[in-house]
This record gives sequence, C-alpha cells and structure tokens, in this order.
Amino acid sequence: MRARRLTRTLTCIAALSLAAAGCGLSGGSDSGDATAGGCKVDKGNVGSGKLTGDVKGDITFQTTNLKKDFGGYFNGVIAAFEKAHPGTKVKWIDDPGDATFTQRLVADAQGCTLPDVVNINVNTAIALTKNGYLLDLDKKAPDAGKPFVPALWKSSMYADASGTKVHSVLPWYSGGIVQTFNTDLMKEAGLDPAKPPTTVLGLFADAQKVAEASDGKYYAFLANPQLRIPADWQQMGIKIFSADGKKFTFADDPKTTQWVEAMTKLYKAGGMPRDSLSSTQDPANVFGQGKLVYGPTNPNFLRFIQQNNPSVYKKTGVARFMLDDLGHTVGAPQYIGTAATSKNAPTALAFAQFLTNAPNQLEWAKDPNVVIFPSTTASLDDPFFQSVKGTDPFAEARKIVASDRKTATADEIALTPGELNAFSAQIQLAMQGKKSAEDALKEAQSKGNELIEQGS
Amino acid sequence: MAQHTLDQAPVPASPGAGALSPGTSSHRPPGRLRRALRSVVPGPTADAGGAALYRRWWLPWLWMAPAIVGTTVFGVFPFLNTLLVSFTDAKPLGGTYNLVGLDNYTRMFGDSDFWLATRNSVLYAVIVVPLMILLPLLLAILVEKNLPGIGFFRSAFYTPVLASSVVVGLSWQWLLSDQGLANTWLEKAHIIREAIPFLSDSWLILLSAMGLTIWKGLGWYMIFYLAALGNVPKELHEAAAVDGAGSIRRFWHITVPGVRQSMMLVGTLTGIGSLRVFTEIYMLGGSTGGPGGADRTLPFYIRDVGLDPLTGNAGYGAAVSVALFALTLGLTLLAQRLTKEDES
Repeated sequence: MRARRLTRTLTCIAALSLAAAGCGLSGGSDSGDATAGGCKVDKGNVGSGKLTGDVKGDITFQTTNLKKDFGGYFNGVIAAFEKAHPGTKVKWIDDPGDATFTQRLVADAQGCTLPDVVNINVNTAIALTKNGYLLDLDKKAPDAGKPFVPALWKSSMYADASGTKVHSVLPWYSGGIVQTFNTDLMKEAGLDPAKPPTTVLGLFADAQKVAEASDGKYYAFLANPQLRIPADWQQMGIKIFSADGKKFTFADDPKTTQWVEAMTKLYKAGGMPRDSLSSTQDPANVFGQGKLVYGPTNPNFLRFIQQNNPSVYKKTGVARFMLDDLGHTVGAPQYIGTAATSKNAPTALAFAQFLTNAPNQLEWAKDPNVVIFPSTTASLDDPFFQSVKGTDPFAEARKIVASDRKTATADEIALTPGELNAFSAQIQLAMQGKKSAEDALKEAQSKGNELIEQGS
Repeated sequence: MAQHTLDQAPVPASPGAGALSPGTSSHRPPGRLRRALRSVVPGPTADAGGAALYRRWWLPWLWMAPAIVGTTVFGVFPFLNTLLVSFTDAKPLGGTYNLVGLDNYTRMFGDSDFWLATRNSVLYAVIVVPLMILLPLLLAILVEKNLPGIGFFRSAFYTPVLASSVVVGLSWQWLLSDQGLANTWLEKAHIIREAIPFLSDSWLILLSAMGLTIWKGLGWYMIFYLAALGNVPKELHEAAAVDGAGSIRRFWHITVPGVRQSMMLVGTLTGIGSLRVFTEIYMLGGSTGGPGGADRTLPFYIRDVGLDPLTGNAGYGAAVSVALFALTLGLTLLAQRLTKEDES
C-alpha cells in the first residue's frame, strides 16, 4: 500500500511539474480590465489619460553595475527624493549587467516583478516596450521630453505591441564615441595624427598604409567583424533595416559590399592580426600593448589605458569619430524605464524624472571617475562641458563628445547577439576568401531575416 | 484496501517477522518495484542475517528519496519539458506558443548548419574518447610508483582540472596565437617559416579545442586509473616477468584487462562529455564558433538557435536538444554493444 501511495505521490509530483511547465509556457493569458504584458495593473497605468495620483509609498529602483563605484551619489539622490516627498521609500538594487541581463529582466517582467524604475539599454528597451511592460510616456506624461536634448528625445522611441513607436523611456547618460589612436605608430606608418580619417572607408584606406608599413609588428585594428558592425555601417549611412523594421536591407546597398571588400583586403594585407578573425580578444588590451594603431571608441576606455599602460596613454591621440554619411554620431544611450506593472506608478515616474533631471545628471557627470555625458540640455550647457580645460586625451575626449551631444541621436541599431553572430560568421568567410562579399552579405541578410521572423 | 499498515504491524520479535515477511502481500510494492527492491534489500528468504532483517521495506526508498526528488525535478521533468517544447514554437522568454507538430524536426533535418554541428560533435567524440581512455592510463602508470617527489608530479598533472575553463582558455589562446608560444618555438627551431593558423583555420581550431579538452581532463581520469591500478595484483606482474614477458606485453595482458571496468567508465563519461563541449570552442573560436561558425558543436548550435532572448526559437532549440540526447544515447549504447562483443 505504502509503495502504491508513494508511486501515486510521485505521479502527482510529476503531473504537477508538467502542469507547471504548461503554465510557464502559456503565460500571458490573463484577462482583466487593465493588463500590461499579461500582468494585472492599476487602470491608471495603461490606456489614455495622464497618470495621476499621490507620490507616496515604496518603489524599487534598479541600476546596472553602478553600486560599487557610485554608491555615494545614488544614496544622495534617493535621500533627496525621499525628503522632497515624505512617505516615499526607494529601495535601490544593482544588477551586475552580464550577458543574460535582457533575458533575466524580461523574465522578471513576465513574472510581473519588474522593478518600478529600471536602468536599461537599447536592446532591453526594445524587448520591454514591445511586450508592454513600460509606461507609455506619450500618454501618461506628455511633457516628459521637455528637459532632454531634442535630437536624443526624438530618436528614443520604440515600437509597442501594435508596432506604433512610442516614448517609453527617459534618456539618461551615455558614454559617447570618439576615435582613439597611437600617434607614434601612426607616424611610423607615414600617417599624420593631426589628420585622422573622416569617413569609414577613409579609415580603411589609412589602415591599408599601416598594413604596408608595419611588416606584422603592429596592426591597424582587430579583424573580428563583430567589433565594427553595425557601428561602421550606420556611420556610412547604410540602411540596415527596412522602414518597418521587419526585414534587413543592408545587403542591397553597394556600400556594404565595399565595406566587406575593404575588410577582406586589409585582412589579406596583414593590417589586422590573422588570429583575431573570430577571437574574443579585447581590443583595449591589444591597444594597451602598443600593437594597434586605432583603439576602442568609448572614451571610458582611456581611463583603462591611463591606469594600465601609462606609456601608451601618453602617445594616445583623440579625434572626432568618422561622421561620414550619417553626419553625427549615435551615442549608446542608457535609459530609465518606469514599469507599467508598478503598484505606485506616480511615485515611480516622479523618481525617474527626478533622477534624470538636469542638476542630478550634472552632479554625476562631474565625478572625476567617469567620462559620461548627460541627456538634458541644461546640463550640457554647463561650463563643465562648454569650457573643458587641459589637453590630455581625457580632456580632449570630453571636449569632442560634449560638442557632439546636442546633435547625436539615439538611433542606435541594436542587433541581437544571434543576428550579430550570423552576420559576422558570413563576413569572416568573405575575409578568408571562401566567399565573395556579395554572397556573404546575401547569406547574412537571409539568415538575419529568418531570425527576425522567428522572433516576431 | 488492506487494513494492515506497517505502523500497526507488531514489532518483529524474531527474524522472519519483518516487513517483507511472506504472507503480508498487501504490504508489498507492486511487481516491478518489488523486483527492483529485491536486488537492493535481501528478503527474509535470502540467506542474509542480521540487521537486514529488521529493515523496513520503505527504508531504501527513504534513503533514495533525495536523489529521486533531485533527479525528477532537475532531470526527468526538464527532459519531458524539453520534449514537449520541441513540438511547439515557444520563445525563450515564454509568452504564447503554438503546437507545430514535427515542423521543428523537419527544419532540423534540412538544416545544413545542424548537420555541420553534428559532424563536429561526432568527430569530437570519435577523436577525444579513445585518447581520453588511453592517455590518462599511461599517465597513471607513470606516476603510480612511490618515488620520492612523485606527489609533485601527481599534483602537477591534476592542476588543469582545477583551473577554471576561462583561465585555461585564455592560456591556450596565448599558447596558440600567431605570435604565441607554440608558433614562436617552432619558428625558432626552424620547423616552420610561417605561423600555423591554430586560431583562424577552422580545422585547426577544432583540433586545438580537442587538445584543450584532453589536456584539461587528463588529470581527472588519471585519478580514476590510479585507483584501478591499485587493484591489479602485483603478483601477476611478477609472475609474468618471471615468465619473460616484457613491459609492453604485461601492459596489454595484465594492466589493460585489470583496469577494463574503469576504461569503460572513462569511455562513457568522456563520450558524454565530448558531445557537450561548448566552452573550448567559444574560448578558441569566439562567439561565432570559429570563422563562419564552422566549428560549432551541437550545444553551441542550440545556444545560437534557441536561447537568444529576442530572436531565439526555444522550440527548435529543444528539437536539436532532443537530437543531441538521441545521439548521446545512441553512441553510448553502441559503445556498450561493441565492448560486449569484444568480451565474448
């Protein structure tokens, strides 16, 4: 009997776990009056009409990998907010922000436990907006965009469940983008550090000279195409997506073929380390070893070089990024989203706006440990950004990016890891001479389209 | 319903009145369970005396419960779930899904990337397993004797097992790069004129990854063999030596048969392990899995098609996982059959 009971219990456990699997699979079948992404929410959080209600109660606020270095700043902002709004309490959590960040956060959202105020990147903003987990600011806070640089605000829109582009996030800080190079090596290759390239293909033409002069002792940059797409394509003005975002179109543009051919030519000429074609090598490390002419484009990397390779730092030159056909840069913006599933949405929104307001953003940007740029017009107008002192690479980078921030847009093409891998793999084959540039791009595009279809 | 329960049963006063005593058939587990249990718990009819006779029939189940629960929750259930998902178009992040029948499997069989990954995985197993059975054995024989300072070598051979895969991968990158240790030595020794493209040729990446797997596993399986070698009677070696058998002959006729069971175990474990390779390929071939993705193994391919949060297809990923399971099972059974035939 016992045994039979035991088997029955085991069967029940198995059945239950299968049922749980069913639940996990189905999800989103909730049918209430007000739902956001399958979660029951306050009616005020969705639909039309401004968000109203008292600013009070508890909210959670999640940053990405900031607690270690900037605890003092954030605790200060939180304390100031709680003081200005008695009865509120902000619980701050910090996510390490690794490769599975988007996956984990969307899983949180599906479990209806998305933090009320959350720091996200472009990819995550796309995923959360598409599934309706963020407040639609166009409806809930129509004036939210006023403090922000217009170019950035206008371009910070993502498609909701119906495919309509909406404002669902507040722009926060960004790192900016610049050209960095080793001036000694440039001179050795017969290039003038005072005249860095202004177009992407111009960069490749210069790199070809590096290949001819270096004799394998140093290189222009690393070969893995993952390090250059989609940024290079975007600066070249290549249309990567169709207008509705449902198909890739880059292979139809002759400029993309030119780019792949330039990569192939440079790789064959030895302008890039042969073993970096598919490797995980970090360009910052190789640049720091004095083996690369052109370094990473994020100004924050200069601090890494300054700390780890002071001799290379002294030789490092900084210049405006190749604006090329696009005419401006795309800063990889960090965003603040407000959860549509928040139980205290008015408080969450108030905190999101408080955090991203001009004084708070400026205060953080002045921290000597960061090179970040605020998204609000008022903070960019501050003398801190308008009259930068010093001529070291750090100060140069700050000057260049600050002057560019008012025109930079958020139109960053964010490829998913799967798309990036699929494209890179094909371009690697072209670079090895196993495929023509056209064939590789065609194959890359069709694989990319398969992925879009699969994900929609 | 039998009214007797074990709690109500009288405390056994003498051997033979235990829980498994004949006549209390209603207390017995059903047929299959009973057969399984018989091998675990000797019944009163078996000639086993002492404590075994006082053991309750459910005791073994109690001891096994944590393992059964663990296996069910973390093994059986995910397996059944994967099987279920493989017939759907589920997304990695959940949401609604549709049953799509055999679509995922049809797509899989027509997908050249799948076959390439299968080829790589099978090749990996075919090359790595025999080496993994033999090399650690030789290493174990080398360090078996108790010479002064042998502990140092045993530890040294075992160190790669303890090192993290990422650290090992980075060291191998450094070892095999165009300007790395291996190429520099070969060039200095005038064996090669131009660097060997260990990290940019897809075949060489695959072979290098196999080398990494073997190098990292040597110490681990060496320990298996050290234990097994201890059980090979020294007298056999001595007798054979007296009869004039050389060391190679003794290796094949005494050592190998003596550690045969361990060899089978090592073969099965490394076979399963080599079909699951991911990190080695990632560390040496990057996130595309070698140039053009030519070095992707099945687990790598599953990651690519099934796990991307925005464009992945968990259903298709699950179908490939089922294929990987079938392949693992098939190769294991094949290996067992071959060993059996060999024995007979």
